Amino acid sequence: MTSQTFFFIFIPILAIILLALNLILAPHNPYQEKDSAFECGFHSFLGQNRSEFSISFFIFALLFLLFDLEILLVYPYIVSAYVNGIFGLIIMLLFFLVLTLGFAFELGKNALSIESRQVHYIK
Amino acid sequence: MIYSPTIISIIEVLSVTIPVLLAVAFVTVAERKTMASMQRRLGPNIVGYYGLLQAFADALKLLLKEYISPTQANVMLFFLGPIITLIFSLLGYAVIPYGPGLTLWDFDLGILFMLAVSSIATYGSLRSTAQLISYELILSSAILLVILLTGSLSLTVNIEAQRAIWFLLPLLPVLAIFFIGSVAETNRAPFDLAEAESELVSGFMTEHAAVIFVFFFLAEYASILLICILNTILFIGGYLIDYSLAVYIANSILYVLNELFIFDSPSLLWLLDRLNFNELSYITLEGIIYGLTIGIKSSAMVFIFIWVRASFPRIRFDQLMSYS
Repeated sequence: MTSQTFFFIFIPILAIILLALNLILAPHNPYQEKDSAFECGFHSFLGQNRSEFSISFFIFALLFLLFDLEILLVYPYIVSAYVNGIFGLIIMLLFFLVLTLGFAFELGKNALSIESRQVHYIK
Repeated sequence: MIYSPTIISIIEVLSVTIPVLLAVAFVTVAERKTMASMQRRLGPNIVGYYGLLQAFADALKLLLKEYISPTQANVMLFFLGPIITLIFSLLGYAVIPYGPGLTLWDFDLGILFMLAVSSIATYGSLRSTAQLISYELILSSAILLVILLTGSLSLTVNIEAQRAIWFLLPLLPVLAIFFIGSVAETNRAPFDLAEAESELVSGFMTEHAAVIFVFFFLAEYASILLICILNTILFIGGYLIDYSLAVYIANSILYVLNELFIFDSPSLLWLLDRLNFNELSYITLEGIIYGLTIGIKSSAMVFIFIWVRASFPRIRFDQLMSYS
């Protein structure tokens, strides 16, 4: 077994050992108040968690995930930049042009604005 | 003694994992002590000498605490989440070179591996996911420039390329961008909106108790340490140190002392002969110096992380997003 294989096996085992230690050593006597969801000064009732969330976070994550992937597409060019020469550079610039057009479209659609709930008194 | 590759690899893995866990523990103590000094408090000073053993005391205490699984949670996911976080934050240590070729896994795509692992390790809630993905973009495009200079995704090659000059100097603005990105990536103040203390009561890890909480805690600090080491490797030259000046100074001092008639006795002369400082290229000594160097450099980076946390106020979420 090579050491990286053993490392990849050992780390989960370590986590599970710690968890098992806790399960064995610690006391466990739950009651309703202790097991209910955390809430400031209220009784939490069923269906209060799993609430809806603001969609703008989701859109934000989605758009930036795409950008992240596109940066990853540039990585092979960067590694072989010395070999590819001017042809590769031109192709990559075209790629970035398309990217920039897409980003301008997103900006124009106002997809990247998370609205602040605070009032701006000072402009 | 039985020579078997499995035993060797077990020893190797243990000699990486245990120091990593110790270092993570001491990072938490260092953070509390440094923050305390910056705010004119004492900080932990009871357990061990100067509170050095505080982290172990905390970990042991949390190990003996009662675990709570809320009735309204998915039990599997509730326990699996912290475990996955911990596993992925520790996996990143596999590819770090502690010396030339001195690594658990000399991986050709080490930088990609580090990026992937460190990003998975810090995913929390939806809020922090949006934050992380957008700052991940910054990180990867800053690394892009470093790779453009070195032409390889291997961490060892990246360090060896800095023998001429550390990338700190030619790529100083990129270092600043990368540093800000990595502070945001590890959910540290001033970007710690996922666990903003006064507003969200520690965020997604509120209901995790006992060892589950330890997992989150360890994972957070392990990824801080990991990204500090990544900073060090990419920009401050990793394990490289130019000790030729030190050797020159030591040799000239010895030469002057020799000329100044001090060493008449033959035993001292023999000792001097043995202590020839040009023999610093001894492989063991060089390895120790390399290891100490990367340790000291990444400790300095950790100190800057803590310094940033103590200095800046937290920013608002929409500010954070428009900033990225």
